[in-house]
Amino acid sequence: MSLDHIVTVTIGGLTVGMIYALVALGYTMVYGVLEFINFAHGEVFTVGGYVAAFTLFALGVSDQMSTVAIIGSLLLALVLSMAVPAALGLLVERVAYRPLRGRSRIMPLLSAIGVSIVLQQLIIIVFGPTPITMPTLGISSASVSILGARIRVLALVIITVSVVLMAGLTYLVKATRIGKAMRATSQDMEAAEMMGIETNQTIAFTFVVGSALAGIGGLLVIMYYGSLKFDAGFLYGLKAFTAAVLGGIGNIPGAVVGALVLGLTETYGVSMDLGFLAWFVVAGLLMGLYVQLVLAPKKRLQHISDDRRTPGYERSIANIYRLAPYLAVRTLVVERTDALRSVSARHAVRLMLGNLFLVVTAAVLFANGSSRIDTRWQPVIAFVVLMVILMFRPSGILGKHITEKV
Amino acid sequence: MGLSRMLQTLRSITERVPRRVWAVAGFSLAAIFPLFNVLGFMPTAWLRVGVVSLVFVMLSLGLNVVMGEAGLLNLGYIAFFAVGAYTTALLSSPKFGLRWPFWALLVLSALLAMVAGLLIGLPTLRLRGDYLAIVTLAFGEIVRLTITNLQPLTNGPNGVTGIYPPRLLSQGAIDSLQASGWSEALLKWLVIDKPIEYYYLVFVFVVITAFLISNLKNSRVGRAWNALREDELAAVSSGITAARAKLLSVVLSAGVAGLAGSVYAYYSNVISPESFLFMQSVIVVCMVVLGGMGSIPGVIIGAIVLQALPQVIRESAGAMRSEFEVYRMLIFGLLIVAMVIFRPEGLLPDKLWRQEVHEVDPRELEKTRQSLFDVEEGHQDLEA
Amino acid sequence: MAREMRLSARKALAIMLLVALVVASMSLAGCKKDEGTTVSDDETAGKTETIKIGVETALTGPLPDYGYAAQVGCELAVEDFSGFTIGDTTYEIELVVLDDKAEPTEAAIVAQTMVDEGVVGVIGGLTTGATLAAMPIYAENRIPQISGSVTGPKANETDFDTFYRTCWNDGVQGEALSVWAQELGAKKVVLMDDNGAYAVGLADVTENSLKAAGVETLRQNCQSGDKDLSAQVANIKEFGADVVIFTGYHPEAGLLRKQMVEAGMSDVQFMGGDGIKSAEFVAEAGGNANAEGCYATFGGFPEAQQPGYTAFAAKYLEKTGDEVGPYAQNNYDALGALVAAIKKAGSTDTEKIIEALQTLEYEGVTGTFTFASATSGAVTRGDIVVTGLTPANVPRYVVKDGAWIAVE
Repeated sequence: MSLDHIVTVTIGGLTVGMIYALVALGYTMVYGVLEFINFAHGEVFTVGGYVAAFTLFALGVSDQMSTVAIIGSLLLALVLSMAVPAALGLLVERVAYRPLRGRSRIMPLLSAIGVSIVLQQLIIIVFGPTPITMPTLGISSASVSILGARIRVLALVIITVSVVLMAGLTYLVKATRIGKAMRATSQDMEAAEMMGIETNQTIAFTFVVGSALAGIGGLLVIMYYGSLKFDAGFLYGLKAFTAAVLGGIGNIPGAVVGALVLGLTETYGVSMDLGFLAWFVVAGLLMGLYVQLVLAPKKRLQHISDDRRTPGYERSIANIYRLAPYLAVRTLVVERTDALRSVSARHAVRLMLGNLFLVVTAAVLFANGSSRIDTRWQPVIAFVVLMVILMFRPSGILGKHITEKV
Repeated sequence: MGLSRMLQTLRSITERVPRRVWAVAGFSLAAIFPLFNVLGFMPTAWLRVGVVSLVFVMLSLGLNVVMGEAGLLNLGYIAFFAVGAYTTALLSSPKFGLRWPFWALLVLSALLAMVAGLLIGLPTLRLRGDYLAIVTLAFGEIVRLTITNLQPLTNGPNGVTGIYPPRLLSQGAIDSLQASGWSEALLKWLVIDKPIEYYYLVFVFVVITAFLISNLKNSRVGRAWNALREDELAAVSSGITAARAKLLSVVLSAGVAGLAGSVYAYYSNVISPESFLFMQSVIVVCMVVLGGMGSIPGVIIGAIVLQALPQVIRESAGAMRSEFEVYRMLIFGLLIVAMVIFRPEGLLPDKLWRQEVHEVDPRELEKTRQSLFDVEEGHQDLEA
Repeated sequence: MAREMRLSARKALAIMLLVALVVASMSLAGCKKDEGTTVSDDETAGKTETIKIGVETALTGPLPDYGYAAQVGCELAVEDFSGFTIGDTTYEIELVVLDDKAEPTEAAIVAQTMVDEGVVGVIGGLTTGATLAAMPIYAENRIPQISGSVTGPKANETDFDTFYRTCWNDGVQGEALSVWAQELGAKKVVLMDDNGAYAVGLADVTENSLKAAGVETLRQNCQSGDKDLSAQVANIKEFGADVVIFTGYHPEAGLLRKQMVEAGMSDVQFMGGDGIKSAEFVAEAGGNANAEGCYATFGGFPEAQQPGYTAFAAKYLEKTGDEVGPYAQNNYDALGALVAAIKKAGSTDTEKIIEALQTLEYEGVTGTFTFASATSGAVTRGDIVVTGLTPANVPRYVVKDGAWIAVE
């Protein structure tokens, strides 16, 4: 893997990750204050992209226009692609979520799914069924050379804009009055109300901010990729949501970290030569099987009768077994004796199932005879990463820092 | 609020009729439903809507076990349905030139789906709430993408075609019956290939499933599930093995989905990954919630209503139908939102759930909130 | 207070519903053209009868633009062909347009609804999966079905005599792509599909053909709807491909081309099937310069050579204000062929129409064609056989100055 290849893939991963992050922030903020998954958030993102492209078309933007005019119309598109989704977010919150506040947590989720269907169909009816495209502009295909790799200027713009927006958001949440109100509302809505905080307004504000960020995400996506389909929000929403959960949902820095991890894993997962890693997986598998079949049955008999009563520490060791390569390192180097002690017969079965899963996965992934993962498995990678991380850290990568959640 | 008062009056009238009467009435209506078609009052399309609705009734009944009873949100439920459907399709189609017996495939499909349930259940059941939801969602997508990608086995996106119709008895047995003088007309019913035959086949399965699940609901296991759903800590301290009970619910519900998948594959003749999208999982969840979580009659009604709704919208557009098709999904979405807002407890709610859904004590809210924090703290030891 | 909140929420919902209804009725008013279906007993022209023709399309689901174009194609055909006469009876056509969401379960219900409606024939379905689910129902009820857009090589594996299509079979196009790539001097070819039925089928045929000719290939995939293809682009670069063949649709194809150019691979030849031959491809590839020199094959005569295309495009523009959508003219021809078969049969009896279709020669927008009566090689039963067009000379296109033009 050459250096320019690494740079290309890394910048590609960061760009995607940043866009995921912009969308994921909306999920995580809403979750922070209301503890529900705003499923319609992906559609808000799509609307942002559509509004931006529509505005630019309406203004007749092209390279023939003066620089000032282009920048002016881009700014107008930016403002509109924030304002329209923000208004939409506000409306949806008011109509479909607020009446459900205080009810069982699944109700808003279902309502959100309904809203998501409605918004998708409205996009088709309002903007037509064909994917919307951007007017072609010089800046959207300009590129610079970094370490021998050609990187698009827009990729750098996306990364910069996202970092600025996230810094702004952190400031907003940490240092302003409304930010304090948001944090208070998420900590304890009732108490916040008693302290004189208008929780309804605060929640509405959260929706506005989250939707505006998603709208900008939509604008950046359509500028970067040139086109957007009416149902693009579903996939983006799903991935952004995955990112938010990865980072520990409700946690703002977590969403960003999760999004970057996801973006990089996706791009690296399909473009890295896995020759070395593949052998590592095989070695781990053999080691795991040896431990289970030869060592485990001798030593542990009546140790753990029930999950609940087992100390968390031992359970986590058992969980570690499920990922064979990791197991190889941990059992051999760190905690050999402990690990052996805690494996019960039932766990041995589990471990075997886990290893079987790994063998099948490896066989499938490398079935095409090369040590490279077939690109058709790219979407699977995101989900597998999610499942594995949640098995080890059930509340996300940064899930513990609850004080920092919105 | 005139409408709401009217509804209240209506409800007080309907509630005076015992549930048993409703159940018998519903059962009889479902049983004679195809006759409307036979007598020519109803287009055959409705019969197909009926079959698909019943398949989804089975799915909803299955999901209700894990969601309504045990309180675990599963957003990848359609994956088990897919496992069952593909098992049947691959072993009874020209794809591999196999035609395994119907009954054997039913059992095998259910069993394989249960194994899938075990595989996903074991490592994930300690997750709670939204984390469990997202992991099951991921599982559902992984299964669908794997089916799409494993082209040599599944034909990938092209799907498996030409699934043979089910024979209730082996060909040999049918032949010998014919030889012993059974009438042709009767024997034709042993090979299921008409919509009306599928309808009754699925109907029988639905009745059996509903019966078994309602018995389970009132059994020791069912009470354990409800206890876990209401307060896991209290349930565990009173001697319920949480992991085992939860796992049982996941595996059972997966089995029901596998069975439904098998029947669905036979009925639809062709299956392809397009039938197992995430949206389908969501629709089944909607069926359970809108019907009334934990309530078996409710779930049945919910599935029928939601599955038949698009066709109802189509038919009610009348002459404008062709122009109206574009707005069908829009209305579907609006109706979901409206139902959640105006009738959150579902169409036929379970008693326990109705209390929960409508009024929530602020302290209760705090408790759920707190329990979320507990999870996070409880697993800090992972880092040790 | 809670009550007030609920109340205003209801109001808001009511407003939302109202807005949706207004939008709906406005668009309805916009597109509804009064088609006189009145049955009149003219003393001179004899009696008038109305026949129903079904259009199974997908207006919701993943491909509404294709579904819409198919619907428009059929509506234009009705405007042109309705009111034909057999003997002294004038037949008016009433379209039954139903949406199968491109989903198999729904497709079966749609097919049954068509049967219940008593249609004399069906145009559709739009996508392979949905069509496969509907085919047995049409076949069992002996209703002829002509699809204008299902190009999957395996669409009629089951050999139904009720299934016909007025679009090209991908198997033929895959062969053509392979031949063309070799003509361009390809040594290392990357094939990329979008994991959908159409793209995978086409890529399979092309890859097998290329491999058989000794060309080194690499298979790549993306997911329909993907926005980031940088990983695939990096792989293409590493492989050192001289030709890239994308077998999916234009949104991803445009992105792939765009990201390839941006990665400095503008000299790698870019080819695709008819899925990328869309005006939007150029915009999606990031403009004329990026798309310049991209190649595409197409399943029929090039539009410039299609005898009725100019007139059709004018009618399409007049009706919708848009350029011709994907497969619109094939759907137009499908309905035209069905009407011709009815005339030929001299009856609206579906069995006779099916019989007539098998020997029909029809002069449509896309050329003069017949339907294959049996499966042989890449051609399956019911496939379109265009006069003067053999699998070896499938039309080729190239992008020049931002527009697709035919290659001689």
